[in-house]
Amino acid sequence: MNKPTGAVISAKSSTKKSIIDFLEKAMDKGVFDAVIVPMRVPAGDSFAYVLIKDKSLFKDAFPIPPVMFVQGAKAVSSVTRLGKGNMKIAALMRPCEIRATIELAKLGQTDLENMTLISMDCPGVLPTSDFLSDPEKGMKQFDEAAKNLDDKIMRPVCQICDKSSMMAGDLHIGTLGAKKDTFFVISNSQKGNDILDKLGISLKDNIDSWHAKVKNISEEKLKKRKKAHKDLKSEIGGLDNLLDAYNQCINCHNCMRVCPVCYCRLCYFDSDNVKHPSEDYLQMAESKGSIRFLPDTIFFQMGRMMHMSLSCVSCGACEDACPVSIPVAQIFSMISDETQGLFDYVSGRSLEEPLPLVAYKEEELHEMEDAND
Amino acid sequence: MKKDEEFMPRILAFLCNWCSYAGADLAGTSRLKYPPSILPIRVMCSSRVDPLFIVKAYLGGIDGVLLAGCHPGDCHYEKGNYYTRRRFALIKKIFEELDMEADRLLLSWISASEGPKYAKVATEFTEKIKKLGENPAKNKIFL
Repeated sequence: MNKPTGAVISAKSSTKKSIIDFLEKAMDKGVFDAVIVPMRVPAGDSFAYVLIKDKSLFKDAFPIPPVMFVQGAKAVSSVTRLGKGNMKIAALMRPCEIRATIELAKLGQTDLENMTLISMDCPGVLPTSDFLSDPEKGMKQFDEAAKNLDDKIMRPVCQICDKSSMMAGDLHIGTLGAKKDTFFVISNSQKGNDILDKLGISLKDNIDSWHAKVKNISEEKLKKRKKAHKDLKSEIGGLDNLLDAYNQCINCHNCMRVCPVCYCRLCYFDSDNVKHPSEDYLQMAESKGSIRFLPDTIFFQMGRMMHMSLSCVSCGACEDACPVSIPVAQIFSMISDETQGLFDYVSGRSLEEPLPLVAYKEEELHEMEDAND
Repeated sequence: MKKDEEFMPRILAFLCNWCSYAGADLAGTSRLKYPPSILPIRVMCSSRVDPLFIVKAYLGGIDGVLLAGCHPGDCHYEKGNYYTRRRFALIKKIFEELDMEADRLLLSWISASEGPKYAKVATEFTEKIKKLGENPAKNKIFL
């Protein structure tokens, strides 16, 4: 795949409306049979992913909503977990949701053959609790912040996200660097090319202004990210500090349940393997003097780091779901940047890249072996 | 532990059935001397070791964890130890990133004929852990 090419589309009314028109047109031409897209619930205080089959419902669709109640990858995976089906479905999501979908495809949890993944430039997501305290105000604040590229009110991990315009799916809708009343449609795969071809959109326009703006923002955010991780490391480094960070954990496992890439139907930490007869607990209490209940707080958190950090996309869903406001997502983003860096891997970057733990090279990582070898 | 007693670490060793366990056995039958600090667990392949085993052991208060398998290229299952190496790198990185004494973890390749090497690794690793002292997780109640 060469450098992605794109087209400039003029937006007749709002960008949002034009994107929906684009999807509607694609459905008219039979490119897609259905579309997965966020929709505002009737009460107006929440957004949900819906699989739209009836085009008349498109008027209520809401691309890039201010909050992320359900991570989009979970929606896609629910539809295609048991096989690809015979319908062509498009999903319009944030880049981190697309990346999580790609991770799930590698983990065998979704089938992307008949799926088209469409990402959009993402301005960030409001923390759910902030939004729920006053949804109308939240909507306004989000629109304002998105317009000014201001991330201060977004999730902490969104503020340090350097992949907010990352192209991982088939098509990308770019709004950064676009002239007034226009947006970019950029193809990132053969599937994307074919779709735009069918829609009569030729990929000949100059999209350098988008590339330049994205590069600019990502570089700035990457600097911020590195600094934030460094600060966080000095704050939680060492067993004592780590214990302090997780002291308030109530063992609800919400972070695991909302995580898009934590796909196991039965988590080890919910299984009988971590339930012991009382004699065992008594023995542990005897050797330490006392043990905490519920047990295994740090074990669970470190276990999740071991099992999932290589696929973590830093979406921040875990942190939003934490009832005691532990910065789980920030800690995870710090850990996952390091572990993924170990294998030069970026979660969700490409479907072709194998998961690091199912691949190997004969000569690598010698620094991890005993120096005697 | 009384003060005048020398600290003898407790080290958990995951030894692969085909190489390292046989290597440890050879060290024994060759009457090689090494410290009584090692608690061996035989696994069919070093790649059988889930990272959780090591985290659990560490949080449970074990002073060191040795993971040993066949030399790269010699795995009984052809490529198990390559996977082990990647997994171990992941574990070690996370311990490092959390500043949690990654030195308490060791990956070593010990073949079935390397009894002396097993004794050497066991001795040196024990010495290293002795210097590090007791695992601080041992007395943490709020884990």
